[in-house]
Amino acid sequence: MTTPPNSGGPSEAVVQDFANMSAALTGFQPSFIRPFLDPVNLSGTFYEFAVAQVGQTMMDALMSAFDALSNQQPPLSPQQIANTLLEVASSTPSQQAQLCQSIVAMWYLGSWYPPPFQKDGLQQVISSQAYTKSLAWNVAQAHPMGFSAFTFGYWSQPPGSLDTFGVNTGGGQ
Amino acid sequence: MSNGASPQYDVVIVGAGASGNLIAKQLGLAGKKVLILEAGLAVPDSREEYMNNFYLALAKTPESPYPALAGRTGNKDHPVGKLPDPATLPTPRATVLGLGGTPDVSYLVQAQSWIATHPDSKEPPQNPPTEPDGDVRGLQFSSTFERNGGGTSWHWLGTSLRELENDIRMYTKYQHAVDWPVTYGEMQQLWALAEKEIGVAASVVQQEPLEVVGLEYPPGYQYPMGPIPTSLVDQTISQGVSGLQVPGTLPDTPGGSDPQMYDVFVTPTPAGRNSEPYDDRRVCAGNTNCIPICPIQAKWDPTVTLGKALDTGNVTVSYQSVAYNVAVDANNNATDIDYYVWSRDGQGNLQKVSKSVTAKIYVLACHAIENAKLLLLSNNWKGIANKSDQVGRNLMDHPLYLTWALAPQPLWGYRGPLATAGIESLRDGEFRKYRASFRMEIGNEGWNFSVGDPYTTTLDFITGTNNSGLNNGGPNGSAQRLGGTALALKLNNLLTRQFRIACMFDQSPLAENRVQLDINQETGKPNNTDGLGLPRPKVEYGFDPYTMEGFRMAAYVCSKIYEQMGAQEFTKNNVGGTGDFTYRGQNYHYYGAGHVVGTHRMGPDPYTSVVDASQRSHDVQNMWVVGSGSFPTVCTANPTLTLMALAFKSADSIIAALKA
Repeated sequence: MTTPPNSGGPSEAVVQDFANMSAALTGFQPSFIRPFLDPVNLSGTFYEFAVAQVGQTMMDALMSAFDALSNQQPPLSPQQIANTLLEVASSTPSQQAQLCQSIVAMWYLGSWYPPPFQKDGLQQVISSQAYTKSLAWNVAQAHPMGFSAFTFGYWSQPPGSLDTFGVNTGGGQ
Repeated sequence: MSNGASPQYDVVIVGAGASGNLIAKQLGLAGKKVLILEAGLAVPDSREEYMNNFYLALAKTPESPYPALAGRTGNKDHPVGKLPDPATLPTPRATVLGLGGTPDVSYLVQAQSWIATHPDSKEPPQNPPTEPDGDVRGLQFSSTFERNGGGTSWHWLGTSLRELENDIRMYTKYQHAVDWPVTYGEMQQLWALAEKEIGVAASVVQQEPLEVVGLEYPPGYQYPMGPIPTSLVDQTISQGVSGLQVPGTLPDTPGGSDPQMYDVFVTPTPAGRNSEPYDDRRVCAGNTNCIPICPIQAKWDPTVTLGKALDTGNVTVSYQSVAYNVAVDANNNATDIDYYVWSRDGQGNLQKVSKSVTAKIYVLACHAIENAKLLLLSNNWKGIANKSDQVGRNLMDHPLYLTWALAPQPLWGYRGPLATAGIESLRDGEFRKYRASFRMEIGNEGWNFSVGDPYTTTLDFITGTNNSGLNNGGPNGSAQRLGGTALALKLNNLLTRQFRIACMFDQSPLAENRVQLDINQETGKPNNTDGLGLPRPKVEYGFDPYTMEGFRMAAYVCSKIYEQMGAQEFTKNNVGGTGDFTYRGQNYHYYGAGHVVGTHRMGPDPYTSVVDASQRSHDVQNMWVVGSGSFPTVCTANPTLTLMALAFKSADSIIAALKA
């Protein structure tokens, strides 16, 4: 709905698949990562940005790995999928797991942190909206510094629960 | 030059910042014709451009929204972007990212870190040695400033505390430093004017407990609007310190002891941000971004007052106009100001045209360091208004000691204005004979200032590092790597419990702490220049034992607070690089507060001070030198309210002089 056909960008199905993987990797609700109405379309932006950094082949391989995990029976929890893709138990994560770390960092911090294998990679804030929608602030039950939708005096009261900030609090094992 | 023609303006003001804009407004209201020469770029029509700079900056430092920034991509050599060379810029300024660097990145030429001067050394960074007199010299001056329309107070915090009576009579009361040449009673009248101009939100009733440190208001005084609510962080600390008392001095304090016990308690901070609509500006929405930029201008900044100055119809601003000489005749009258108008051609090359302007009265209002630089640049770099030899001397900061901790339960930082309360109850006492006093600012931004969070801790748990000190929960204290819900819940548990306290010291004025021109004494040629060919400021800085004893006490008080709250302290006292010193065997790290003070101190005596109590030069009769550079001591309150107060006094004295 946000990516018109034949625009040259990734297909709707690919962006949705990337959003689903991002939800698992970040621990956020899929509908928060990619709302039904999504004019900002960070999923599409981040997918294309990552492809430009590491190449289509590597991204396709990652998405295939995610698809295989998603289709496993009995179903894996989002946390199990995240742990597998990030190889959290390994002290020497593969290049694919390093790419997953950079994808988590994009969502949490709005910036590209080059994975160790990307020797010429440049750290950068991906866009203003990547900053103002970055998720680290949500897990703090707060808002990005310099971008708040709250109103006067909210800071003297406790914040809403963590799930209202988009975190998939029931996504664990 | 003065050739018998009448002056072009009543008053020329150098600098469109807090002091300059207020004086311009007052003069404009009085029907005086005023020109402001502003070195930097014009105030933008909308702050969206500055907000976008901020959003896209890798390091969200105080300077990050403002023009001439670091690049927006980082690599191994330049992790937060390559900094522009100050020698290529028309209005370079001190930046946080340039601190400790060589002059190709640092505008201020000053002591450099061990790392910068010994790039190939395998030795650990070394702190400056203690001198025989107990001082530590060769420190980095760590405060920065802006050079653009609106000035540095674009990114002031908004803290609008009044000074205490004993702050401005330190010598009389405690035989330390110097007195101010103004009375507390007069300052109370002036502070009230400044509070109205800024729009300060506070409650006199809430401030009343500070009578213990001598804070007083005239009977019946009310702030322009009600207070800003305190944060959950403030409320938690306030409960946590209940009943806590600390002694005036620690054992073995040099010079004497003050064994009296002082109460530690929290009070809301008077703030230059709106608790209700004021001056056609909105109510604070708690963007937690007062520094570096309020997105909605709920916080007063000097562009508000500049707008009112322009509305008088008597004030004109000339942007991109860098003053480099105040010409003074044989009768000690300033006759004109020479300045460069700069621009960039189609290829981006810097162009400059030299111009002059005449007025009856001249006001230098371009920041403590730039005021000193301009005075020293004048008269062919031999200086003016310096019979006292105090121009550029007594440079002070509010050196800032930062401590941080993890509370036992969530207190939800990263919400609300950056600071809404502090501990002001330790700002005065007999101990000021022996050690520096300090105020304590409670931060509402978690460990953002402390370690760069939420970035640092988040990256720690994504990549398995431990730069925050928080990621050591793996086997044998190793760092964990997490993802998915486990990552979110771990970060939630840590980020919501982070808080910090910043202590700011009434540093001693020292003649050796000074701003000079960076000129080779033998050849007379500049060592380092800006893009217009003007010599850059060379800065020397250090602390005396009185100041450092304040740090020792602050570290003690913070630890006591954390202990009583059941909070776990993570303060890092040895950061390496610039800003570290050793006192009595203990390492401390200090930051600049942005409160640059003292370079043209005011006083009654033309032989020991640069300006009088109205900030009028003792030597050059028709020149005023204004701003925090006039402060004889840095005191315990943040300086903006008081420099605004003094600007009201200066404006009155200028209007009186124009009538005479």
